[in-house]
Amino acid sequence: MKKLIPFIAATGIMISACHKASDPNNDQTNFTTLENQVITDFTNNVALGQYSALTNAAVSLNASVTMLTTAGQTTDANLAASRTAWKNIRGTWEQCEGFLFGPVEDNDYDPNTDTWPTDYNQMDSLLASSNTLGTDDVKSLPQSLRGYHPLEYMLFGKGGSRVAADINDREKKYMNSLAADILYNNVQPLYNDWSTNYKNEVLTAGMGSTQFPTKQELFLAIVSGMSDICSEVGESKMFEPFIARDSSITESPYSGNTLDDFRDNIIGLQNVYLGLNNGKGIKDLVAAKNKDLDNQIQSKIQAAISSFGNITERYEQAIYDQRTQVQQTMDQLSQLKDLLDGELHDFIVANVKD
Amino acid sequence: MKKWYVISLIAVLVGSLSMCHKAEPLPDEGYDDRLSGGLATTLDASSHAFTHAIDGLDARSARVHEIGDNTFESKFVAPPAPVFGGLGPIFNNVSCINCHRNDGGGLPITGSATAGLLMRISQPGADEHGGPLAVDGYGAQVQDQAILGAQPEATIGITYTEVPFTYPDGTVVSLRHPDYQLLNPYTPITVPYMLSPRLAPRLVGMGLLEKIPESTILSFVDEGDQNGDGISGKANYVYDAYTGQTEIGRFGLKANAPTLLLQIATAYQQDMGVTCYAAPKESSFGQQQYQLVSDPASSELADTMLNYVTFYVKTLAVPARRNVTDPDVKAGSILFNQINCAACHRTTMMTGTEPTVSQLSGQRIHPYTDLLLHDMGDGLADNRPDFLADGREWRTQPLWGLGLMQKTAGTAYFLHDGRARTIEEAILWHDGEAKKSRDSFTQLSADQRNQLLKFLNSL
Repeated sequence: MKKLIPFIAATGIMISACHKASDPNNDQTNFTTLENQVITDFTNNVALGQYSALTNAAVSLNASVTMLTTAGQTTDANLAASRTAWKNIRGTWEQCEGFLFGPVEDNDYDPNTDTWPTDYNQMDSLLASSNTLGTDDVKSLPQSLRGYHPLEYMLFGKGGSRVAADINDREKKYMNSLAADILYNNVQPLYNDWSTNYKNEVLTAGMGSTQFPTKQELFLAIVSGMSDICSEVGESKMFEPFIARDSSITESPYSGNTLDDFRDNIIGLQNVYLGLNNGKGIKDLVAAKNKDLDNQIQSKIQAAISSFGNITERYEQAIYDQRTQVQQTMDQLSQLKDLLDGELHDFIVANVKD
Repeated sequence: MKKWYVISLIAVLVGSLSMCHKAEPLPDEGYDDRLSGGLATTLDASSHAFTHAIDGLDARSARVHEIGDNTFESKFVAPPAPVFGGLGPIFNNVSCINCHRNDGGGLPITGSATAGLLMRISQPGADEHGGPLAVDGYGAQVQDQAILGAQPEATIGITYTEVPFTYPDGTVVSLRHPDYQLLNPYTPITVPYMLSPRLAPRLVGMGLLEKIPESTILSFVDEGDQNGDGISGKANYVYDAYTGQTEIGRFGLKANAPTLLLQIATAYQQDMGVTCYAAPKESSFGQQQYQLVSDPASSELADTMLNYVTFYVKTLAVPARRNVTDPDVKAGSILFNQINCAACHRTTMMTGTEPTVSQLSGQRIHPYTDLLLHDMGDGLADNRPDFLADGREWRTQPLWGLGLMQKTAGTAYFLHDGRARTIEEAILWHDGEAKKSRDSFTQLSADQRNQLLKFLNSL
């Protein structure tokens, strides 16, 4: 939600502010160079870097599940390995949600893989049906029967109680195809979409891109993405089970991974802001003109991430037992979101002019 | 006190007042022309531009909006389920957001999770309320997906034929002509039937459209074309199955829904198979798929949830215009009026009183619609009547947010069935009452056409 008043106020300040005495043309050239560097590093290090990591994680998950579902290999040790691979890809995926725009939303990779709650009834019907459960069959299933969460249900069971001996042949086939559908029909195409067309759209922002006719639009989209994940976690994924005192509507209830999902989302936001692998991030743009604002944003992000550490139980339990701590984290996220929607948004509008 | 000073000041004031140009009912002076939705405008122009609540909702309203938002995004699953059960047995898609991508438009695809197109069906004649006459075994809409164990009613075949259109200046644009077929019917249809495709529209500004006074809409009507501009315009009056009354139609591509509540309730019931208090009967009622309904008496969507989703849609902000000072955009805006697009795509009007959400109340808005039905010619005709709308008539589509369709949906599609891939193609499809304006458009120079498109992209 973008506020009208700060926008108007920022415009007013821009008009009335006189620039400082140093050579303004030179400053502007340096800032433009910095903008380009941030765009390049966001593209290569954060977006493509993270989607590449996601692809690797999907390859591992697919390999682990294939091993688990091979005849004679359905052991508790292999089940544990698949669970680890599942948690691993979830960590990367949730971090990728720090920039939920572009092919991930345009081509539905997000809802195709990350739809919840899981449809148990239809899953039972599916397993009992004559569906051959190949990868293509899974591709044409409803989204509530595809992706991470049905696989989570298969690997962990209700309350995480599953053992390898419980897994029957139909379930093996389904699990196998779920993991393959994640890899081949979603994660790989997502990386490919970004690394071909969309990458150029981003890199040519303000220089011929149709998606981003100005650089300002690209930076605002990036900031919006940060703000959206902040509200998604604080106002929706955490808040709804909390206010309803209902542990059945949390994100990853079978694996108990819910709290990690939340924290990884905010780490994803932090990656966008700071940059990855020594690349430049949004922080460099902000620090170049307003170090104080940069300090505020960095410490707010860190405070929000650290506050998850105060919640020591599974989120499904914490909504009953640790309400104060949960509320404190949501408050941190709310303050962070206000800072992103307010000062950071206005900073971009006031300073990125091309 | 220097009298001459006061007198001359008064003289200047009087002079400046009397120099005002002729009194227009809604003058532009003093208004920021970016604010298409008045106070219900958002300044975000990103891919999430259609998803924002109007600014300054009080805390309770903001919370209601948020719960509505969550419900709007929730995928429904087969019953009985602890949360969001009630899907099907037959349906077109599983959540609101699957069709209304980012609260924007849908994709012209059927029968999958990304489907944004559905097919209405009826037989010649009218039902007891003047609405479309349902087909036995199908109702008035084809549900082309089903939960496991149930059979979809049919699948929809879409084929496109590319036909070149040549401008007087020699420029060629390819228009794709769709052909729709009902394939794999689960039971034979023994009567002549008519199909009408409907693409999910973007949702912004619905709350404002609901508050345009009926008298304002009727003031646009020119059924006998008294002013001789070739454009008539007619209001649809439709039966509200919830209130049991006949009311003016505002929503839907043929203005066949009188209120947002009924539009949304019908979408839950018809598109998802989720019943609610305003549309309590399963879409499969009387059909073989109905055997899979486990608890026919239950309302599958809680009453408050229907109200909250309605409030959510009502309080979605309209994106502000962009690039309004660009000379091409300004020139395009003048052309838009000169070639009479604005005769139907009405630019400016006032909303009436809205007691609960002040940002919707008494707003000066730019929806670019008259909410009336117009004959759009043979090419666009579905030949299927819908209350007072005949088979050639469609409601003027609001144009606010038009320039953000690409960003919000990934790929933008236009017109009632998404046949147009660009705004330019959509203009070229205009015919019937819009023929004169369409022809005027084709006779503009390439630069002028580009200016008009730039203006439309600024909306």
